[in-house]
Amino acid sequence: MNLRTNPRGRLAAALLAALAAVTACTSSGGDGPGPRPSDPPAETARPGVLRILAGSELQDLAPVLEDARKATGVTVQFSWTGTLDGADAVSSGRADGKYDAVWFPSNQYLRLDPAGKSKVLSETPVMVSPVAIGVRSSVLGDLGWGDGSKVTWAQVGDAAAAGKLTYGMADPSRSNSGFSTLVAVASAFSKADGALAEADVQKATPQLKQFFTGQKLTSGSSGWLAQAYSRAESGLVGALVNYESVLLSMNRTLSPQQQLTVVRPVDGVVSADYPLSLLSAAAPDQRDAFQRLTSYLLKDEVQKRISETTLRRPATVGVAPAAGLPTDRRRELPFPGTRAVADGLLASYQNDLRRPSRTVYVLDTSGSMEGNRIAALKSALGRLTGADDTRGVRRFRNREEVTLVSFASSVKWSKTHVVPATGSQPGPQDELAAINTDVQSLAASGGTAVYGSLEEAYRVIERQQAAANDDRFTSIVLMTDGESNSGPTDSDFKRFHDGLPAWEKSIPVFPIKFGEAAVNQLQGIADVSGGKLFDGSGSLDGAFEEIRGYQ
Amino acid sequence: MKRGALGAVLILALLGWVAYALIPEGGNGGSGPATVTVTGLIGSEKRNFFEDPNVKAELKKKGLEVRTDSTGSWTMSEQAKSTQGLDFAFPASAAPAREIQQNWGLKDSPLVPFYSPLVIVTHKPVAEILKQNQLAEHDDGPKGVWTFKMDKYVEALTAGRKWKDLAGSEKDPELTGPVFVSTTDPDTSSSGAMYVALLSYIANGNQVVQDDAGVDAVRKVLVTANGHQGMQKISSDEPFRDFFAGVGTLVFAYESQAAALPLQGKDTGDMVVMYPDTTVQSDHTLVARTDGGRKLADALQNDPVLRELEAHYGFRPQADQEAFWKQLNGKSPQFAPDLRKSGFKQATLPSLENLTKLTTAAKGGSPK
Repeated sequence: MNLRTNPRGRLAAALLAALAAVTACTSSGGDGPGPRPSDPPAETARPGVLRILAGSELQDLAPVLEDARKATGVTVQFSWTGTLDGADAVSSGRADGKYDAVWFPSNQYLRLDPAGKSKVLSETPVMVSPVAIGVRSSVLGDLGWGDGSKVTWAQVGDAAAAGKLTYGMADPSRSNSGFSTLVAVASAFSKADGALAEADVQKATPQLKQFFTGQKLTSGSSGWLAQAYSRAESGLVGALVNYESVLLSMNRTLSPQQQLTVVRPVDGVVSADYPLSLLSAAAPDQRDAFQRLTSYLLKDEVQKRISETTLRRPATVGVAPAAGLPTDRRRELPFPGTRAVADGLLASYQNDLRRPSRTVYVLDTSGSMEGNRIAALKSALGRLTGADDTRGVRRFRNREEVTLVSFASSVKWSKTHVVPATGSQPGPQDELAAINTDVQSLAASGGTAVYGSLEEAYRVIERQQAAANDDRFTSIVLMTDGESNSGPTDSDFKRFHDGLPAWEKSIPVFPIKFGEAAVNQLQGIADVSGGKLFDGSGSLDGAFEEIRGYQ
Repeated sequence: MKRGALGAVLILALLGWVAYALIPEGGNGGSGPATVTVTGLIGSEKRNFFEDPNVKAELKKKGLEVRTDSTGSWTMSEQAKSTQGLDFAFPASAAPAREIQQNWGLKDSPLVPFYSPLVIVTHKPVAEILKQNQLAEHDDGPKGVWTFKMDKYVEALTAGRKWKDLAGSEKDPELTGPVFVSTTDPDTSSSGAMYVALLSYIANGNQVVQDDAGVDAVRKVLVTANGHQGMQKISSDEPFRDFFAGVGTLVFAYESQAAALPLQGKDTGDMVVMYPDTTVQSDHTLVARTDGGRKLADALQNDPVLRELEAHYGFRPQADQEAFWKQLNGKSPQFAPDLRKSGFKQATLPSLENLTKLTTAAKGGSPK
């Protein structure tokens, strides 16, 4: 209990704070040394600063939070992560003391874990958006779906099975939009009355497999998915599964032919309600800041602004949603009530339901990799062959074809493994162990021929595709710690890429920057191929794991 | 340079103010009593009340500045064990209040400044379909009170009735899947736990469950009611907010949450408030740990201005039975003026021990 007897004392405190602000302003002549929203969250709590671990889509709230800072004095500092990874960080205690609050599209996965549940003291939904299917308008017409307002999940599944609907969807092991989609289709196809049980997933397996034959793009983040959609040729990707708000926001910049019609299946949706959540471990000052921020965000006029800025629906009664947001209602499909069912569904998706992957790793084993670097590479790749991965976030999946290409001045060797399907004899474990044996045999020596080795990876894929004639998510990872100093140059590679057939052109390359790698070369490769550059200099483990969402 | 000069002037001016402000005030010149800051945990359904500037001002007159964190009532009893420096906890019902009291080693009986019955909110067309199928009743007149028939509802749950089995449902594409009421998580939130208590009372032949045999007798209906919902929300604010964003068809809520809206001039669209014909009442119970906490409880119970503000947030003040209706008479949607006179029965709540067994059963947990 605090006793305050002198109201003037408090005035003095406020004035001293104002004085400090003015002093800061005059001495540095800039914005002052105070905490800024763009700063990374500090290790320790600071007054008036709320350190929030959040989903990256909340970047669109920046202007609202800037106004919130002016109105409430609370500065929000974000650290970005995926919803499911974020839930792990909270449950495991890794967020304790480092963050004061979390803000994900949904806390449902977090709350499946009793440990995670007890870490959250208070949560308030700030805005709502259902997961929906954005269908290219021309495709909508071909499917005979009218204005899209009466479509069921069964129709969506049938269209995918018949090859009439192709779509991109984020990786459900990482992203809440992907996970919500998986839950929605599993519920709809199994006709489960209530929350999904393991038997429901089994029952729906044939239909789910058919539905996922239509998935042509996968992604660890919704931002990259949107880019990949805009880039893809119109015949390749006819739709995107994402939050209604993301799809509507994309329409603001997409060309007329690429415009998306938002379809919310009439038999039910799963919605994100973006609960701003205070962690139990937060200090009193941060709790206070949390309350101030939450009340601000729920004000009528702020809710209106949020809806107009983000195209999510308001969470305060009586506030009209932004123009263009549909107002008809949909049944909310129940979310699994246990972690076992949720993780089982994710494991099925990765190992059995989705199209399998063809994954090629082009690995720099030049002389400069000697010592710690090659050890780090072996450890990062070796982790992908481990078994301790309940929701399928890391390990090579059943049915995945994995090729390792070791290169220096030229390709030293390339080895291919196919992880057996679930239920095969011998099972996946033996093959995973064999991959790890190859990984551990990597040895450093020689120069660096980045482009030549990359071109070889395309030829490997050509041969594999010709031999198997199968249907896989195909991608290349390129890890290097130096500049290309032998073989073809970047302009040679561009010419090579231009000459590839369309299906090979659409194979994304994910370069990993490590050591003294030439960032401009790697960024160029990502841009030409429609991939994405990853930074392995902080944690090579992390980069290899993150890329799994795109493979 | 200009800014530097301006800064210097400002610093001087501010220093002057600070010097003035730091002069101790002489004698008893200040207005009002010393202000005590009290900190506590509240159920999320009371957050708007405590944030209202008028409430803050009135509490200030009583010498109180109240700081709150809102959470689910049962989460609160967990948090109350570990959180330091709490002056009070204010859950939405008596059972978590009793547990908090035990944990804090308190003896005196806590106050219940106000209460609120649990209701079911839905949209008008849905209410009409329920009425057409004898699951709801509507008093005569355009603005009559809606009643939700609990025994018929338990029958529907037991029979696995779906919306498409109900006459008139084909007009509304939203109505697919089974007929069920959405609630909060009974493990974390009082309203979710009270739903379990209410269902068990009805399913047990309008008798409170008193033993393991009783738990077994109602297990099936509880598992069905809970299984339909899947993952539930932590506290009552969430499903209620979600309802207005289009999530949820029949939502279990405090009457106060719904009543606060017309009182604050909010447009509730086609919301209808249905009173279960047998209902449960949430006794908002303040457990005071310090003198500051006791002072707050006393003010909420006895201060007439605060009581009026409580009614303005849709609560029914214990010490002024008229206050609620005085504000809601003539407002839309229709609320019940007097629960007893309207013929709503009250379910008896099970003991804490049996309530825990019932929520475990609802979640598919094995007996013991």
